[in-house]
Amino acid sequence: MRSALETAAAWLLALIWILPLAYAGWTAFHPAAYATAFRFDAPLTLANFAAAWQAAPFARYFLNTFLLVTMILAAQLVLCTLAAFAFARIEFRGRAVAFLLVLVQLMVMPDVLIVENYRTMARLGILDSLGAIGLPYMASGFGIFLLRQTFKSVPRELDEAARIEGAGLLQLLWRVYVPLARPVYLAYGLVSVSYHWNNFLWPLIVTNSVETRPLTVGLQIFASTDQGIDWSIITAASLMTTAPLLVAFLLFQRQFVQSFLRAGIR
Amino acid sequence: MKRLTRRAVLGGAAAMGVALGARRATAAPVRLNFYFPVAVGGPITKIIDGMVADFEKEHADVTVNAIYSGSYQDTTAKALTAVKSGEPPHLAVALSTDMFTFIDEDAILPFDEIAGSGGKTWLDGFFPAFMANSRAEGRVWGVPFQRSTIVLYWNKTAFRAAGLDPDKAPATWDEMRGFAGKLTRRSGADVAQWGVEIPSSGFPYWLFQGLTTENGAILMNEAGNEVYFDKPEVVEALQYMVDLGRKWQVMPQGIIEWGTTPQDFFERKTAMMWTTTGNLTNVRANAPFPFGVAMLPAQKRRGSPTGGGNFYLFKKTSPAERQAALAFVQWMTTPERAAEWGIKTGYVAVRPDAWTTPAMKRYVANFPAAAVARDQLEFAVAEFSTHDNQRVTKILNDGLQAALTGEKHPAQALADAQSEADRVLRPYRRS
Repeated sequence: MRSALETAAAWLLALIWILPLAYAGWTAFHPAAYATAFRFDAPLTLANFAAAWQAAPFARYFLNTFLLVTMILAAQLVLCTLAAFAFARIEFRGRAVAFLLVLVQLMVMPDVLIVENYRTMARLGILDSLGAIGLPYMASGFGIFLLRQTFKSVPRELDEAARIEGAGLLQLLWRVYVPLARPVYLAYGLVSVSYHWNNFLWPLIVTNSVETRPLTVGLQIFASTDQGIDWSIITAASLMTTAPLLVAFLLFQRQFVQSFLRAGIR
Repeated sequence: MKRLTRRAVLGGAAAMGVALGARRATAAPVRLNFYFPVAVGGPITKIIDGMVADFEKEHADVTVNAIYSGSYQDTTAKALTAVKSGEPPHLAVALSTDMFTFIDEDAILPFDEIAGSGGKTWLDGFFPAFMANSRAEGRVWGVPFQRSTIVLYWNKTAFRAAGLDPDKAPATWDEMRGFAGKLTRRSGADVAQWGVEIPSSGFPYWLFQGLTTENGAILMNEAGNEVYFDKPEVVEALQYMVDLGRKWQVMPQGIIEWGTTPQDFFERKTAMMWTTTGNLTNVRANAPFPFGVAMLPAQKRRGSPTGGGNFYLFKKTSPAERQAALAFVQWMTTPERAAEWGIKTGYVAVRPDAWTTPAMKRYVANFPAAAVARDQLEFAVAEFSTHDNQRVTKILNDGLQAALTGEKHPAQALADAQSEADRVLRPYRRS
């Protein structure tokens, strides 16, 4: 009885979750006249996708977004791993204070820092570049915190055994800690990639040219506020820009779910 | 732009802390950064790029870097961020109502000062209704570019089906209510077709300002530091808007979504709608029935606020850059360009002489509805705009929505909004 109820609840949640996506799928593949008229004889069309693709240089935007999320994730993994390891396993003066400062970063919304970050990028002379979009996010407080907690839970015995075998610090990190934290890396990677794939305001403000702007900026031109919303083209563009993430998620679904479960239990 | 900045920064570092602003004084050919929002459908970025290329052909020493900057709100955020970081754009198109915000942030320059005595004829050549949102403290801060007003669209087929004259739009509030009553078609408990929709999501104050103007009220003073929400005429206007839904039931109750109102119109869910002239091209392309466009109905008078975006010139730029930016704005607002922009986008051409150009005359001859907005300008008033505009506007919006959803009585909602707005505006009344 209880399990039947749970199954029903799960189905309900899944249905609520899939509805917007299903609507987007319906609207994107049908002419605008059928945006709210669900009829089985409605003609299918790809014209919405063609129109959306034409409206902005999406090929370039795809490349930019791809480079951006890859760059940010790579830098985050390196920086956060090293920092988290130091906070977890290396004794040094002021460690508690330094870690506290990293935690404070979690409390500050990135949007509050837009003006200050912009000024920093201007001083560095890298306004209007992919680097400027990514730089403020690379030393991620969340990533450091998450990995530190994971590293702390690695059994001391493994650590000591490796040391006795003569492993140096970096070797120890690479051979013992990183492999054990794999599920956490996967979960963090998913969060990071989807966040930066979707990030809009900061990239818009700090970049000026087609060569540096990500997908979200291209998507924004369909949200033309003075006019009515053309659902067909908006949903087509949204599906198009989120497709790589959706496909990747469906392909690696099992790994993601498992890694979240494992990362969450700790 | 990118390379220029980097070089300048290296130079600045070499000179040990010379201010970044110095970069503006170096190169002889002038490069301008121009932020523009996109607020209507269509290939706006391509049209702008085309116009910029034409300008550069005629001005070999000026390069204009046209930068798409999102919605109006995004554009203002981007411009103000850049200003605060000491790297402002040279010019931008932003909401005409953000003028006080830009002035308070000390971000913009008055056009009349930059243009000198020669600019007066040019500035006097715009429709006075559009210039109403450009003047403050005796100066001209904005130049009209992509401007609009509210008009009423009606479905002629639906009018005929309801036994109304398909070529006659309601001219008064009472007529609109009466027509809407005949046009509302019910099937059981559901409504198959509403009489009218006045959108109220996002920025209800704008459409509401149509009603208050028609009822003989103004909502703010020219200095932008006083509002008049609790006047009886304003309360009456809100009562009418609420009654359309709740009492007479000829308009959907509650909040009506701005973005989907045209869609409702195309799908015959409403027979009349109030929306921007910026929708003209959209409606023309998508309405599957003959439609009409009319001025908003009158109560004590005709009336509508204007809306849309103006050009602004930013501070912290060199005199040569200012002159180049001014030349660009003047070039973009010549009668021929203003006409071209209006025809391609659906915005109202901002100068009377743009309407006498051959291209515009041809356009109006083919599509008389385009001239309705121009004719209504005679009755148009400044769009609601005050100091600390976003906050004060939000107060009014929240009040209106509270009344529309039945949470508060109209008089109460407006009295509350008045006292809250007074609190925000008090600091701007000194001096």
